[in-house]
Amino acid sequence: MRPVAIARTAAVSAFGAGARGLGRALADGALLPGLPSETPLASPRSRKMMSPAAYLAARCLADLLRDAAWTDARDRIAYYLAVGASAGSLDDFMALLDESLVDGAYSLERFGHRGLAACNPLLAFQLMNNFTLCHGAILEGLGGPNSALFSRGAGTITALGEAVYAVASGECDRAISGGADAPTHPATAAELGRDGLIGRGLVPADAAGLLALEVARPGDIVVEGCGVASGRGRPIAEAIAHSVAAARLSETVDLVVIAPWGPPAADALRSWAAALHPTANVVSTAALGESLAASAALAVIAAADLLEPAQRALVLSLGVDGDPGAVAIARGAA
Amino acid sequence: MTKRRVFVRGVGAYTPLGATWPAAAAELATGATAIRPITRFDATGFPCRSAAAIDAPFPDEDRRLPYTRLAAREAWEMARLTAEPARLGVFLGAESGRCHWTTALGLARAGRGPDNTFDHGRFAREAPAFADRIDASVISPSAVAVALAVEYGALGPVETISLACASGSAAIVEAARAIRLGQCDVALCGGVGADVDPLMLAGFGLLGILSPRGISCPFDAHRDGFIIGEGAAMLVLSAERGDARVELAGVGRSLDAHHLTAPDPDGDGAARAMIAALHDAGDPQIGYVQAHGTSTPLNDRIEVRAIKRALGDRVATAHVSSSKGALGHWVAGAGAVGALYAWHAVSEGVVLPTAGLEHPDPTCDVAHVMGRARSKDVDAALANAFAFGGANSCLVMRRAT
Repeated sequence: MRPVAIARTAAVSAFGAGARGLGRALADGALLPGLPSETPLASPRSRKMMSPAAYLAARCLADLLRDAAWTDARDRIAYYLAVGASAGSLDDFMALLDESLVDGAYSLERFGHRGLAACNPLLAFQLMNNFTLCHGAILEGLGGPNSALFSRGAGTITALGEAVYAVASGECDRAISGGADAPTHPATAAELGRDGLIGRGLVPADAAGLLALEVARPGDIVVEGCGVASGRGRPIAEAIAHSVAAARLSETVDLVVIAPWGPPAADALRSWAAALHPTANVVSTAALGESLAASAALAVIAAADLLEPAQRALVLSLGVDGDPGAVAIARGAA
Repeated sequence: MTKRRVFVRGVGAYTPLGATWPAAAAELATGATAIRPITRFDATGFPCRSAAAIDAPFPDEDRRLPYTRLAAREAWEMARLTAEPARLGVFLGAESGRCHWTTALGLARAGRGPDNTFDHGRFAREAPAFADRIDASVISPSAVAVALAVEYGALGPVETISLACASGSAAIVEAARAIRLGQCDVALCGGVGADVDPLMLAGFGLLGILSPRGISCPFDAHRDGFIIGEGAAMLVLSAERGDARVELAGVGRSLDAHHLTAPDPDGDGAARAMIAALHDAGDPQIGYVQAHGTSTPLNDRIEVRAIKRALGDRVATAHVSSSKGALGHWVAGAGAVGALYAWHAVSEGVVLPTAGLEHPDPTCDVAHVMGRARSKDVDAALANAFAFGGANSCLVMRRAT
């Protein structure tokens, strides 16, 4: 198996549009500028067809490919993306609703005949979660192995593991992985509120974070392992330990970056890190808010941003699914 | 490094033509179709009024879980194996579930502000009453996989793949990969589709991809669109052969990178996924291809072109059929029931026909299986699944030796 490096990173988050300095800003508790206003894509017409998460993923993907200068052989680049529940524009739903009423009451016949025609013709496709991946892939011409893994935490680490394996095994020379999600969508936010997560400190935040992976060279940041574990029916500390073991981490680390969905998860991850890696610097992505499928990817990006030569970092995630995930990365000596 | 082999220990399906895979296969072998006028709701005014729906007394809302549970139970019982909880994984292809359409519209109405635009403040006040009617543990894409994991005590990987029409196939790919990598030893995997509902019927119909005539006839000269179907198909994969007669020998995936709703006109992405799966399997002689075969004018013609490119001279000995003439298009479950067709060909020596195919399109000139099933000694079979958005996923089933 070939060693796999994080060649470039890209993010659109509360830190703004960019990944450089993301880790340092989190470590220093710097004021975050917030999610940037929309920037036109190469094909502005396509924006109307996109869900918010698809737009973020496409925007982030364009930045990543430009920074990595991956201009050739894009049909052989693998793309494993963690996605959330996709949702359409609520203004579209308003138009749909308006056309589906007869004398103030819903009419199924009217809905079937005119309802959807009144709004975005691709509304049904916006509800398909894979379109978060496909919009960007089509715009950028990515054609390699791929998957859209639904994630509320651990699925993002699984997606990264798939992409790392694609490069390590020689299936591809280049791969992209990460996550994109838009939990501030009113329907998702209402659901998170109903489940009590917002009451326990979850702050929804839209974001996308992507990593470009390729075969490692000396001095690169290498992904040493990715692991997830089930949180069902076992103490959370035990589950975290299982995820770390699955990431094949056996040495002490200099840095721990945690991606907790809220304060209870942050406490669990900090406690585990303090017990097992007492000398490590611990940085949290909490200031970015909770981006569900994107949070763990942002944590890996932050860790890569902070890692000094000859250092090793552990990323721990605990999303709203309750399943912990771990990623071990190390930067070679300068 | 030698790849860990992946064996198919059990299969199960819950379909509109039978509540088990043997029952469904017996009906499918006769060329029967499950496509009927929709009775679940009043489809008057919709662009298409037929579907392959399951007439069973399940709640009118999200049906993914009961369908999948039944298919999984059948596959698990056939497999007759045990697995350590930490070595058992669950991999499911599924999109989001559905609340009742009146609840969805009510939720939208809760945010209706002046000038019929969305009013966030009003939504925040009104939405909780509707949100309480929507059980996220039921409609979340991952709800079904998590429920299966709890039911079978799985503490290994639990993944939900949302890759539209390639979801079920891609979930089987993920399961095979997890076994090959040693992340688990046994995997319960497959896909479920439950899209016979007003939203998807109107959504697909609006794009002109459903059959206005209400007929699914893949590869036929008169095909004019697909028909929505529903059901679940599940497999139990294992690193241990046991008494398995079939192994999952190859997997391949690609992206078209072409268009949101139309396939690459050259079938390049589809061909690349097939070639990758064939290569992964060691380039066996393919005796049967379960085509994606949606019955849309575009897909079937392009898919045949891609099959020819992928198989080359070997296409002459491969029979081709599609499940969608009989069972409709299961969307997220389509690739999984396609995998069962391929398994059936290798395991039982029976290639199931394309229901509804009577006048093959000359541009789709492959060896079709028409009318009834035919007996054939199949060493290896290919199963295709291609998604809206351009994701392609292919599987190769091969006789276990």
